[in-house]
Amino acid sequence: MATLDLESVSRRFGGLKAVDNVDFSLNEGEIVGIIGPNGAGKTTLINLISGITPVSSGTIAFEGEDITDMGPHGRAQLGIGRTYQLIHPVEHLTVEENVMVGFVFAQGMNMKQAREASKQLCAAMGIEKPGRIVSQLNILEVKKMEIAHALSTGPKILFLDEIMAGLNADETHQVIALVQKIASERSLGVGVVEHVMGVIKKLTHRVIVLESGAIIASGEYEDVVKNPQVLEAYLGGGAH
Amino acid sequence: MDSRKKALLAIIAAVAVVTVILLLWKPTVLIFGVQRAGLYAAVALPMALILGIVHIVNLAHGEMMILSAYITYAVARALGVDPFLVMIPTAAVMFIVGAILYRVTIKHAIEAPELNQLILTFGLAMVISQGINMVATSQPRKLSLDYVTASLTIGDISFGVYDFIFVALALVMLLGLTFFLKKTTMGKAALAVGVNPRGAAIVGINVHKTYMLVFAASAAMLGILGTFFLTKMSLFPTAGGAFTMKSFCLVAMAGIGNLPTILLAALALGVAEAFIGSFAGMGSWTHIVFFAMIIAVILGRSFRGKSL
Amino acid sequence: MKKKYIFWVIIALAAVTIPLFSGPYQMSVLRTVLTYAALAVSWDMLIRSGQLSFGIAGFFGLGTYISAMCSIYLNMPGIPAIIIGGIITCLIAMALGTIILRLRGMYFAITTLALGEIFRIIIRNGGEFTGGPEGLIIKKLVFDGGTIPTYYLALGILLVAVGASIYFQKSRFHLALTTIRNNERVAMTSGINIYKTLIIVFGITAGIQALAGASFAQMYGFVTPESSFSGDYTLLPLAMSLLGGMYGTWGPVVGAFLLGILSEYLKLYIPYGHLIIYGIIIVFVILVMPQGILGLLKKKFRKEAV
Repeated sequence: MATLDLESVSRRFGGLKAVDNVDFSLNEGEIVGIIGPNGAGKTTLINLISGITPVSSGTIAFEGEDITDMGPHGRAQLGIGRTYQLIHPVEHLTVEENVMVGFVFAQGMNMKQAREASKQLCAAMGIEKPGRIVSQLNILEVKKMEIAHALSTGPKILFLDEIMAGLNADETHQVIALVQKIASERSLGVGVVEHVMGVIKKLTHRVIVLESGAIIASGEYEDVVKNPQVLEAYLGGGAH
Repeated sequence: MDSRKKALLAIIAAVAVVTVILLLWKPTVLIFGVQRAGLYAAVALPMALILGIVHIVNLAHGEMMILSAYITYAVARALGVDPFLVMIPTAAVMFIVGAILYRVTIKHAIEAPELNQLILTFGLAMVISQGINMVATSQPRKLSLDYVTASLTIGDISFGVYDFIFVALALVMLLGLTFFLKKTTMGKAALAVGVNPRGAAIVGINVHKTYMLVFAASAAMLGILGTFFLTKMSLFPTAGGAFTMKSFCLVAMAGIGNLPTILLAALALGVAEAFIGSFAGMGSWTHIVFFAMIIAVILGRSFRGKSL
Repeated sequence: MKKKYIFWVIIALAAVTIPLFSGPYQMSVLRTVLTYAALAVSWDMLIRSGQLSFGIAGFFGLGTYISAMCSIYLNMPGIPAIIIGGIITCLIAMALGTIILRLRGMYFAITTLALGEIFRIIIRNGGEFTGGPEGLIIKKLVFDGGTIPTYYLALGILLVAVGASIYFQKSRFHLALTTIRNNERVAMTSGINIYKTLIIVFGITAGIQALAGASFAQMYGFVTPESSFSGDYTLLPLAMSLLGGMYGTWGPVVGAFLLGILSEYLKLYIPYGHLIIYGIIIVFVILVMPQGILGLLKKKFRKEAV
């Protein structure tokens, strides 16, 4: 039994199969890349796991418990964390308050404990002056805050949805190192959706490749990228 | 597709059953219901047009209709002529009023959050109804026209004939709007703006001009409607609020962008209201029907897992 | 820090001692202003979650009727009747909330607008029990209608609203509501139970609105469908909140004082339709200064400080 188990999970939007019969599992301590051309269903898959979008069929289990019908806030409380491709930091809150949200609502801390925990987490993530409002942060700090925000829910499993988008090479390396550090320190299971293959290669232990909602290949990065079906999906899809 | 067909069949079957029962039991309910439905559909159509293309709920919708009714009333009384002679000038005035309202207020809130838009049009509704109150006082106004009381007797039931004019009006408006949106260049452009304003701007359509035109055209339609309204109903400054809410209810029932279905929704509302009103002493409960409907629609949609 | 402290002491002293220097007319104006301020603050508390309610008049009216009925049918004295009015309305709002809080944006706003209308129709048609179109009369006014004690009653209700509002700004509700307003998906995956949070807030704000209504009923001694559910109770607090500044406790209070006192003058000069001013203020504020007066002042001070 893995920490997270998806069994033949599908999601249809009208006639479109956004996620098609996916079996997937993720264990604590492992970093898995989720790749595929645009519109392959990567973000939808994360939405299904975090509970934002209900599944059309299939089951999702977390630590052996069936959570298919559980709401997103319940899953966050259990230990499924995520970031968003289009990030939405709360502009009317300070950085510290942004990061407090998960401590309070997913981990059940009181405001005082949460403020302390938030300060510590911000320091550990290298975000200085957490009393600032969000609009004063640079892009790297915003990304760090996004990760800190997800960590504040106390996840055992964490999904990062294109967290590197908009970063330059140097910043990308910093975030890769940060994710590796967090994952090993907390023995997190991490799912990484990313377009930049260099990031996937560096960061992940194994990858799954989605095309039209279905997994067409999985395994170690080096093997998967040689898979003719994967090459076809990327070249045929016209992406990259 | 399959489930949609099934749903359609179910609706048709339900309508048929209800019609037969009503025909046998309370035939006047059907007649009054259809007449009410005509008025409701006619008021809801311009709101649906604005919501579908400009993507704004105009909470001043009913108030604008009442405003145009007052304009017609004032002019017709002053000149001593039939209100229908004033209808076209009123529509022209309302077209200008609509254009100005758009240019001065709505335009600046197009990019604003939905909350701001709602508060803005709520404010406009208050400005219009209180403005009327200021000028015309809250005393109810009514025209007495002899031709609106014509009635017809079939067997032992008797009903007003004039009210069917609202049904005709609704049908003409629907056909006119459909023709405009599907067949004219301007209408096609408006539809394109409604679906994708950025894309429309890229191909050279002036988005704000289109919005202004749609808003003004809807106001002009309300101008015509106001005249019809005046011939039958009495006016008071706050009479519009109920029509704003009912129109919204119908648009929500039909689904945004679905003009013909508004007629069906209006029919359901009209017949249900007439049915409740047909019981002695229940007349004042009729205004609650739309609320029950709005709740039913909402629940129906949320059970189907569709976010509204 | 010390300056701030002195400022609040002066405000508190003024609020408590004002009956010593004012006549009955000023007192009754102030009483109304305080009540509107409570309505404005309660409306603001819900909009902090991004939900726009036009239902103030509905819950206000419900409060007037429930407390009037408590007095008439259960011989309850004024103050308990006011509290019961608030509590029952709070529970009704929570029950309704389980349905209508599935809605967002325009759907929610318009359904709340309809609520007031629905309550009014039900009460109008309620027969002898609700008094029908004529309404009900409470024989014994709270504090025998004395202007000074009823002023303190209105002040007390404003304090309840302000207290709740400040609690909402200092506690976990602040994080929850602001996150929900910003992005509901993020709120959900941060562990916030949006539905439950909104039902609680909707219930509490409706309860405060009902307290205000109930105190009006007990002060003036009568309730009618038209006066109790008057749209003014939605329009005025909304304009007050906007003018003073949304998303905070003091904006709505400041707005209520400015507009409440202005309205007394307008009533004298414009007998019909003086409410047009409120409509104009709403339109003007939304288009020109959506942050309100306090928002503008804050911005100015921040700039000067920098």
